[in-house]
Parts: sequence; structure tokens; C-alpha cells
Amino acid sequence: MIAVCMVLLAYRPFIDPLPLWNGWFWWSLPLCAGVSVVYKCTKCDRMADVPIQSLMIFIWMMIGLVGSAAALYGLVAVMTKVAGG
Amino acid sequence: MDSEQSFSPFLMPLAVFGGWLVPGLGYWILGHRSRSLVVFGTILALFFLGVLIGGVKVVDAPTQLTWAAIVDKPWYILQVLSGLIAVVTAVASQAATASHAHAFDIGTLYTSVAGFLNLLTIIDCGWRTAAQGAA
Repeated sequence: MIAVCMVLLAYRPFIDPLPLWNGWFWWSLPLCAGVSVVYKCTKCDRMADVPIQSLMIFIWMMIGLVGSAAALYGLVAVMTKVAGG
Repeated sequence: MDSEQSFSPFLMPLAVFGGWLVPGLGYWILGHRSRSLVVFGTILALFFLGVLIGGVKVVDAPTQLTWAAIVDKPWYILQVLSGLIAVVTAVASQAATASHAHAFDIGTLYTSVAGFLNLLTIIDCGWRTAAQGAA
């Protein structure tokens, strides 16, 4: 606890990296949201279509990321079992 | 509804260069005001979030304009596409030290994706200008 507090106190915003330990993968959410908004801004002729279109592509990106993570997790589990057994 | 300007031969280079200099400025020049503001806000948010996550040193420019120096820091090729803000950040980061933290990699990814998205908008500005001229 004391070590965590010392790291947080020494942290200088915009100079030092954020003290991230667990849950770093949640940072993929704003990145995917930004990508989907800008991509749909270039593709949609009407700006009124951008919110719903970017939301749809954001959901598909999340499904793709979670699916890839699950597939890789399964592959590693199978390979570990094969190598171990 | 976005308004559109009349076509001029200088419009495409102006929109493309403006779009590189400040994200969204190309759309603004073409008269797509709301598109410009959304692109500006999103790309700058991604860029600043990247610098906040990884520290200012995530934008690290090559010290020389040689092939070896550029290949040594390949992320800057994408980051500099964000425009003036990437150049200013690279100058500001010269005194900082690089980190091996995981957050540093995430910050590098954010700033690079911001640059790549700005390239996408620059290409779209060029395409829209050409379509406007053909019409």
C-alpha cells in the first residue's frame, strides 16, 4: 500500500507513463471508439448518420477483439495441454 | 447540414496541407464544419490521451534525416501525420527519458493511431475536393 502511494505521488502527468498494473486492456475501448468515429466521419455523407454508424462499427470491433482474445486463450490452453501431456 | 465552397485549383493542396497541419482543418476549408469539429476533437483527444498514458517521450523524433535513424524510430512516421501537435510534442520530449513501462507502448499506439486516422481524413479531403471539382 505504501509502495503504491509512493508511486502515485511521484507520478508527473504527461511526463511519466501512467502507473497501470492491471486492467490495461480497458484502454482499447477509447481507442476503438476514436477509430470508429473518425472512420465513419470519412465514410458517411451525412453527419447525422455518424453516431449510429460509429456505434455499430465499435460494437463489431469489440466483438472481434473479444473473439480473438478467446480464440488465442483457447489455443494457448490446448497447446499447453498438448505440450504438457 | 454542411455547406460546401465553390471549387478552386488551390483548394485541394490547401485542404490537404491544412488537414495535415491541424486535424480537421481540411474539412473546415471545404466547408464541412461539423465533420471538421468531430475529427479535430477525436484525433486530438486520442493524441493527448496517448501522451497522458505513456508520457511525452512516446513521441520521439529521429535526430537525423537518414534511413537508419528513421527506421530506428518507425512510430514517428505515423505520429507526425497528426500535424503540428506531433512536431511540438517531439520538440518538448527531447529532455524526457523513455520508459519500459507497458503504458509507454499503449501511449505510442494511441499517438500513432491518431496520426494514421489523420492520414485517412487527409486522403478523404483530397477525394472530396476532387469530387467537388468534377461536379
